[in-house]
Amino acid sequence: MLNSIRPKKWVIALYLLFPILLYVFAVFIPLITAGFYSFFDWKGGPNKTFIGLDNYATLIKDDVFWTSFGHNIYLVFACIIGQIGLAFIIVLMINSRLVKFKAIHRTFGFFPSTISAVYIGLIWLMFYDYKRGILNWFLELIGKGDQTKVWLNEPKLVMLLIAIPLIWQFIGYYMVIIISAISSVDQEIFEVAELDGANAFQRAIYVIVPLIKNTLLVCVTLCVAGNMKAFDHIFVMTKGGPGNDSMVMALYGYKISFAQQNMGYGSAISIGIFFVSLLVIGGVQFLVKMLTKEKGEI
Amino acid sequence: MSENKTPSKAKNRPDHKVKTRVLAVFLNLVLIIFSLSCIFPLIWLFYSSLKEKRVFNADIIGLPKSPSFSNYVDILSNKDYHIFASLFNSFRTTIISVSLIIICGFIVGYILARVKFKGNRLLYVIFLMGLLIPIHSLLVPIYVVFNNTGLNNQWFTLIIPYVAFGLPIAIFLVEGYVKAIPVALEEAAAIDGSSFTRTLFTVILPTCKPILTTVGIIQTFGCWNEFSFALVLIRDQALHTVPLAMTQFTGQFSSDYPKIMAALLTTMAPIIVFYFVFSKQIIKGMVAGAVKG
Repeated sequence: MLNSIRPKKWVIALYLLFPILLYVFAVFIPLITAGFYSFFDWKGGPNKTFIGLDNYATLIKDDVFWTSFGHNIYLVFACIIGQIGLAFIIVLMINSRLVKFKAIHRTFGFFPSTISAVYIGLIWLMFYDYKRGILNWFLELIGKGDQTKVWLNEPKLVMLLIAIPLIWQFIGYYMVIIISAISSVDQEIFEVAELDGANAFQRAIYVIVPLIKNTLLVCVTLCVAGNMKAFDHIFVMTKGGPGNDSMVMALYGYKISFAQQNMGYGSAISIGIFFVSLLVIGGVQFLVKMLTKEKGEI
Repeated sequence: MSENKTPSKAKNRPDHKVKTRVLAVFLNLVLIIFSLSCIFPLIWLFYSSLKEKRVFNADIIGLPKSPSFSNYVDILSNKDYHIFASLFNSFRTTIISVSLIIICGFIVGYILARVKFKGNRLLYVIFLMGLLIPIHSLLVPIYVVFNNTGLNNQWFTLIIPYVAFGLPIAIFLVEGYVKAIPVALEEAAAIDGSSFTRTLFTVILPTCKPILTTVGIIQTFGCWNEFSFALVLIRDQALHTVPLAMTQFTGQFSSDYPKIMAALLTTMAPIIVFYFVFSKQIIKGMVAGAVKG
């Protein structure tokens, strides 16, 4: 860079000041504050008592927290299989020469991912409703009226019922990512594979998957990061219930802090969520880096 | 196996054609069902919102026999529902936040890519950490900080976290983009006597338009749809953004589905219009942002 275009230091400092201040204030100060309050017994009022690591001792033995973490992991797996798996199958279909209206499928399929999770939750809440829900209406229609239920009150089903809207919402999102990855690969490869006599299934597994492996791995990291922070649509649909059967980490931290006003323990949970999520997301990203490195640069 | 297949294929040409046609019907059918399922909620919401509560409860799936917009008139004319107010709040928060993310992301991204100074890499890493930090763990802590500083429950409250959380990805994308621009561009501008600031905004900014559009698209949806931070930081109903207002509204009218549907569609309308008008650019931008991030 030429010396003459080197800007003065104060100009740079001035430009950087506002973004840095804002960023530090909204990201790092809260983290430090949470770390601080996590050592106190604090019910949100003016009185705080220092209790050292007691909150963390409670956290480690807190079944609800670890169940919630398990539910986050459940969502991660459900979404990797449901979102990326189904998206991949749909992409295979859409890429066929026999399919029409490809652009429309893409536009419609992508649409749900642009809607707030709150709306998705509210809409599916209506689908699952006992008296006015489409699910029960459908069961009546096909003559299985005895199977109707207050769906979201079923402890064994609730996680699956929570996962379905999430899967549905993002299939189109991953579909579009995978389509763009495939279209950037030289199309001749597919034709050659076809000439070699590979059937559609073989082509998918042995030709397409290795070629778009990096993109698929990116999808997995997106899935993991997205589901560790699950909150909105569960808040709307079940608030973690029945009992804690659909509780997730962020929602648990929210509940302890605001419904029970236990801000000290809520802070400890927040720090717990921070490290657990960081470990899972960071771990997956590290694994993905290792896997993508084999074939050189991305 | 492949040696066996080729001759048999040639022999049964007509059979093969039928197979192809069946496959074509099957594929198209599955995909049409998939596509319809993705917009079915919109359709169902729309025609059901034209029903009366009584009619809807009697038949949840049928088309309205005497469609009326009375639900819309009702929710929009009653100020207590805060429909217009929440739309206004969402617009204000989204527009200001996205503008600030674009401007700050552009400036910081450019400086980190081009200007050498002590701490440049450190600053880059600190901002990049924002991509890794699980933001949802800040939900409670950010409430504590904002509550202590009196920053919660103001009209500008949400702009602070939205900009802060949007900056890392914006900076990351801009930095990568600027690095690919030849330095000759700035050198030429400097020789012409252009100052740093002038070059920044008149030479570099236009070149960065594609990546800034991507940033803008991602963040527009992010800010408009954000819920959890709005939930903890905003108490005053008059300051509710759209998702927050909807959780309130549905709680209030839990048995009147058509009315809820009218409210949902009304508050979804801006994002639906935005999406279907610019869907091509939006899909492209979201995918580019997701894959690079």
